[in-house]
Amino acid sequence: MQAEPSMQELRELVAEFRPNRGHVMPALHKVQDRYGYIPRVAMDVIARQLNTTPALIYGAATFYTDFRLHPRPETEISWCSGPACRLKGGDRIREAIQQTLEVPLGGESEDGRYGLHIGQCNGTCTEAPQVWVNEKVVGNLTVSKAIRLARDVKGEAE
Amino acid sequence: MNAALQGMIDEAKRAWAEQRASGREQITVSIDTSSLARGAEETLAAIRSQAAALNLKVDVRITGTWGMNWLEPTVTVRSAAGTRTVLYGNVTADRVPEFLQATVVEGRDLPELAIGVVDGNATAEVPLLSEHQFMRGQVRRLMANMGTIDPESIEEYLAHEGYEGFGKALEMDAEAIVKHMLDSGLGGRAGGGFPAGRKWDFLRTATADPRYLVCNADEGDPGAWVNRVVMEADPHLVVEGMMIAARAGHAREGYIYIRYEYPLAIARMQKAIDQAYAKGLLGTNILGTGWDFDLIVHRGAGAYVCGEETGLINSIDGYRGMPRIKPPFPAQAGLWNKPTNVNNVESYANAPMIMRNGAEWWANVSNEKEKGTKMFTFSGHVNWPGCVEVPFGPTIRQCLEQWAGGMLEGSRCKGFQPGGPLSGVVTANLDLTLTLDPYRGMGMFLGGGGIVFFDESTCIVDMCKYFLGFCEDESCGRCTTCHGGTQRAVEILRRIQQGGGRESDILNLEKLVQSLVWSNCFHGQFAMTSIKTALKAFRSEWDEHIIEKRCRAGVCDGLIEYVVRAQGEGIDEAADICPTNAFYKDGAGWAIDDALCVRCGACKELAPSSIEVRDRFAARVAAGAAAGG
Repeated sequence: MQAEPSMQELRELVAEFRPNRGHVMPALHKVQDRYGYIPRVAMDVIARQLNTTPALIYGAATFYTDFRLHPRPETEISWCSGPACRLKGGDRIREAIQQTLEVPLGGESEDGRYGLHIGQCNGTCTEAPQVWVNEKVVGNLTVSKAIRLARDVKGEAE
Repeated sequence: MNAALQGMIDEAKRAWAEQRASGREQITVSIDTSSLARGAEETLAAIRSQAAALNLKVDVRITGTWGMNWLEPTVTVRSAAGTRTVLYGNVTADRVPEFLQATVVEGRDLPELAIGVVDGNATAEVPLLSEHQFMRGQVRRLMANMGTIDPESIEEYLAHEGYEGFGKALEMDAEAIVKHMLDSGLGGRAGGGFPAGRKWDFLRTATADPRYLVCNADEGDPGAWVNRVVMEADPHLVVEGMMIAARAGHAREGYIYIRYEYPLAIARMQKAIDQAYAKGLLGTNILGTGWDFDLIVHRGAGAYVCGEETGLINSIDGYRGMPRIKPPFPAQAGLWNKPTNVNNVESYANAPMIMRNGAEWWANVSNEKEKGTKMFTFSGHVNWPGCVEVPFGPTIRQCLEQWAGGMLEGSRCKGFQPGGPLSGVVTANLDLTLTLDPYRGMGMFLGGGGIVFFDESTCIVDMCKYFLGFCEDESCGRCTTCHGGTQRAVEILRRIQQGGGRESDILNLEKLVQSLVWSNCFHGQFAMTSIKTALKAFRSEWDEHIIEKRCRAGVCDGLIEYVVRAQGEGIDEAADICPTNAFYKDGAGWAIDDALCVRCGACKELAPSSIEVRDRFAARVAAGAAAGG
């Protein structure tokens, strides 16, 4: 796992933002775009930069599911929770992947090498049921295909 | 027309004509999120590299979607003379060599992949695209440029009547613009149907300054991708629409709030805005008129409830995206407590056409109370997941059978969801029209356009748990009715699915329906719609679950069990695939340990004739009834 960025580095990263509450999300996005997640210390730096409290920043960061407070696992299966996938067995695919990876939805392996994330429908429903593996669509799944995929992910990581 | 704008348009038209007369074949690949999921990027790369390797003189371009998502990647080929354009589908990278060989090297059609002729004459093998079942009956206005122009080029938009509506608005006063909008009858496109012109008038007549515009592009309804299509395929429509709204409402700044899940839409909207700034269409002293307007893309971060307008405003404001208590309405105190107008992507995108072609032209396309055209997307158990634009008022039957290509082979429509998890479920009443009133009459709403059809393999209790689970996850947590109510509903549904249903559950669910309407925002008020409508429409199925402990679709995990019926073909693979190792050797053959089985169904996929899914309780319930009887 990469080391947490330094305060100095973070300060420079968010230096463009001003004490304007409209900058809370853009600042959080900028940090996440750079590091893949929002380190705890970054919230303090953003709060200082925007002249507000860390609590407000923390409140915003934790409200949204796509702000991550921990580094992303090396291989992430993002499971599509949309209705078209659901109608075609998506929920059974979720259960099977969870059992195979031995992590809950939203969890990751202890070594941080693979994890299962909840993905939201973005309208590529021709591929249902689908997952994204590191943001690449793997579609037209069956439960058995999904188990093999998860076994591969786990095997590669082991 | 403003002289600077007219000059820009003339120059763009000249460049477009020049590009069209290049004397080379033009190959245009649809690049959007749907096509990328089906390998369009690889297709584009293969076309470029093969064309270079064969030294073919072709122009390779990109465009937005044709709406035929099930046929992606789609590609058009326009002949060197410009007399013939043919649309092809399923052009995957591995088909590119033969595709280029036929269409460019040999200069003929490739009927195997052809969908239809866009320009030119039909042949015996390739019919006209306009006669394709999917295209008939569509009126493409918002989608007019899709398939033609490059969404990343402001010049190509300008060459196709782009910014002409804004040009007209520049010559009108705010009141006249609002009158145009009111005359058109344009209603909000996210499902509410509130007249856009009235909203604009609220902003125009507001007394505080500065005033803001917000474009709600947080299309969170799973199964809907209408707004994504507009932003990815013709982003300048939204920019221009917001500029017109800004003129009407005296707004100084606008925000486009796009959900995190749409990275390509975010990139294309940002590019469109950057181009508009570079042309002097945004910023200060626009086109020398002394008028200022800024447009900002605001990226969401994954919160459904931010699609509620005040939740969205709070989100931009830097707070958690929790909906506010109304009143005050955004028109009085919205962004930074200043007057704010919030419209959907599609609502803004219609404004340029209303200004350009007049309110009457715009409204006349539909005989219904709802005016203009509406985009819909179809998904679920249908053959053709895709996106259409049609005048208001078609029947569900036409949508399903014509544009969505019918139900999957061997399946029958059980019902559909008209638009999002809050909209409710309807039985397969195919004569319903796609207008607002029939759904209002049933205590639900039409929604933003994401229609999901489902067949008999769908369990209605499971669907309700899906919708309620979604609402529970996405509740902001303010109202106890909502965050507690959805949680309670999910608990009840889960218990029913586990075989613990009680007759009082129906009553309790009905009580929850009554309670949740007291929530502050739409999210809570409509969270129970799916249960409310499903209890009415599919009542016998609920009774089966609760009293007979039976799930006719074989979905609810506590009401079914997987058993080994025979030691036939595939049984070893089935035992191996089991993610919980529930298979064990019982003597010589395999058996399933019910306590370990999670009902994922993987074994049945591999050994369909050896594994049986059967009712877990039906035999026992029947025996009990006989004994008691």
